[in-house]
Amino acid sequence: MPHNPDRSLERVSSFASDRRAFVLGAAAGALALPALGRGSLLAAQERKTKHVVLVAFAGGVRTRETFGAPSNVPTLEALAKEGVLYKRVKSSNLGHFGAALSIFTGISEARGIRENARGGDPTLFEYVRKDAGLRASDVWISTSGGAQQTNFSYGLHPDYGARYGANTVDGDGLFNAEFKSILDAWGRPKALPAKEAELLGRLRGAIGGGSAGSVEDSARIEKYILDELTSGTADIRGANAADAKAIRVARNLLVLFKPKLVSIVLQQADAAHGSYNGYVEIVRRNDEALGELWRAVRADQELRDSTAFVILPEFGRDADLNSRRGLDHGDGSNDLEYVTATCWGPDFARNRIVEDDVQAIDVCPTVCELLGASATKARGKRLPKLFA
Amino acid sequence: MRAAALALALFGLAFGAGGEARAQEASTEAAPARALDDAALRAACFDLLGRPPLEAERTAWLGRGRHEFLDHWLSQCETWSHWVEEQLYFFLLIDNFRPENERVEELPALLATEKLDVRTAIHRIALSPSFDQRNPGADTFVTVVMEQLNGLRVQKNVRELEVGKGMYDGRPGMFFGKSGSTQADLLRIAIDDRSFVQQLVAREYRRIVRTEPDKAELALNVRRFQRDPAVFRALLREWMLSVAWDARVRSRTNAPNRIWIEALYVDLLGRQPLPEESRRLRTALDGLSDTGPLRSVLARVLIDSGQVKLPDKAEIEDPTQWIAGLFTRLLGRVPSTEELRTFVTVFHEPECRPHTVLYALVTHPEYQTY
Repeated sequence: MPHNPDRSLERVSSFASDRRAFVLGAAAGALALPALGRGSLLAAQERKTKHVVLVAFAGGVRTRETFGAPSNVPTLEALAKEGVLYKRVKSSNLGHFGAALSIFTGISEARGIRENARGGDPTLFEYVRKDAGLRASDVWISTSGGAQQTNFSYGLHPDYGARYGANTVDGDGLFNAEFKSILDAWGRPKALPAKEAELLGRLRGAIGGGSAGSVEDSARIEKYILDELTSGTADIRGANAADAKAIRVARNLLVLFKPKLVSIVLQQADAAHGSYNGYVEIVRRNDEALGELWRAVRADQELRDSTAFVILPEFGRDADLNSRRGLDHGDGSNDLEYVTATCWGPDFARNRIVEDDVQAIDVCPTVCELLGASATKARGKRLPKLFA
Repeated sequence: MRAAALALALFGLAFGAGGEARAQEASTEAAPARALDDAALRAACFDLLGRPPLEAERTAWLGRGRHEFLDHWLSQCETWSHWVEEQLYFFLLIDNFRPENERVEELPALLATEKLDVRTAIHRIALSPSFDQRNPGADTFVTVVMEQLNGLRVQKNVRELEVGKGMYDGRPGMFFGKSGSTQADLLRIAIDDRSFVQQLVAREYRRIVRTEPDKAELALNVRRFQRDPAVFRALLREWMLSVAWDARVRSRTNAPNRIWIEALYVDLLGRQPLPEESRRLRTALDGLSDTGPLRSVLARVLIDSGQVKLPDKAEIEDPTQWIAGLFTRLLGRVPSTEELRTFVTVFHEPECRPHTVLYALVTHPEYQTY
């Protein structure tokens, strides 16, 4: 893929989103949108939901260990009681990568399970950014699965792509204690005097005839990274450390920057291949971490009445234990192919259980609609019986 | 005769001192020597070694023939060490899943001395416990084998997947037309199959040349590989001497994090990162879809650490030459007139330090390409 030097500059500059500028920009952007997009945006503006947290409770999690054993997931239980529970969400056994990608694209994605490449279809992040005119700083994805999961941030569709992608942060990658130790060993970068910073901008701008990057904006993202490294996220330990870091990063992003869409992709439940008990422990801990996130949202005056949660695994696991007393994913059973989705938010029905079959690919158009976008390429439909 | 003598003399001039002797080396079969300039040398080092040239290597190789460079490096352990690393990364056998056993660790040395071919090397990697742990369970294991070793979509080869899963669990079956009944049989059959060769040759061509291989040429090379897997070294050599590779040198692409880290250490510190340093930085960078800001942070961390040797401003007698030298060394190209004019003008501002110039170059998106 040819390198686009402007991409990183765009990301950096957009990171420092000014809230007032955003509101004005979105309003102006709405006028320039096609009729379909404008309609969605206007409908979204009438809703209370202004922020969405989409959690791919991934790694392969059966309903048996969640709503089939409620003591494992008190947070999900509580969310469901105040929201809508979909008991039969059809997923596809396309490997973790493809199945999770399907949630974001609204299309069943046949992808190699170790494939480290972007898909061809736009993701909900791109729909939301393009249709609703959101800036990159308003759309984030926090992952726990390393390099492969950064591919969720955008696809390669010519009408969408990198310029509408989400910012991706992998909690266990960036905020691991070992990386922190390297920075501690080398020391922190020194702040530049204003004049030298301006000269640096001129020099950078001169290379290749490119535009000058904003040193000030770079400093903002630099400060965020360095602050996070010292905030304790790097020190999280335990069986679900990577997942817990992804959730913690999302929590901090939400509270600090109030983005429109934050997605979290978990992965560690896949330890189930080798240990059933280890898997259940990870499910429990992830539920606990989600509880912290939910509490943080409810404690925030701006977020508590304007934030929606959508939580679902990418697929389940086999019906029976394997020879290692673990759980694989490949038997084609209902345990594998049907999962449970939990939706909670100010516009959603309360304490509603939906027994009808829906699909994991319905999540993408649903989230898009909530935020005023149209997932035009997605094959899913808006989740039924969701709204109050 | 006179024309031949002139050609030989020019050939010798292109090589510089010792060129004639090297031109007569039996190992050198490539036709016209392509003299290595900074761009080609940097690209060749990235492709074979996963890093830019060290200063001593740069001095030694600039202006010499590319074929000579290839003859030397294709028999070096470091080249094959990088090749093995690329394979491990392709299979995502990294971090906790990196194979740590003697049979995998000895691969670079065996490949460099041609005691082992690349097919056998990949077979060893796939047989390592790490590959099994990375791909646990019948469905995952067989899917990865079919997708990554054989380049097949399992959704279109459901019968083969089911047979493979049975074989993984110890049931006899016919996989790719051959019988087997164990996990080891499954791997052996997959790696012996033509589709494995097709997948390997095509993806290695894409890695080196960065374009899709011509179908007829691919088919020919697959046949050559099937007759003798040791031909792979010759294939690498041919690809890197081709016109297509010349185009690869001119078309830069974003460097993967692992390559960028190597480049930063070599360019700034004059050494490669320790494996542990590299792993930690890569893990952090791999977690970001847009690594630009963090790469800039890391570059500045290194420069500000005091371990990067930079002259005092007063010691730089000819700023134009010093700046132009940085461009060729770090970006593999000479600066344009406009770039040079701006850099020299800014350099003369009292607040501009040599560090400022270095910051600008190594934090610029162009430095992040290769």
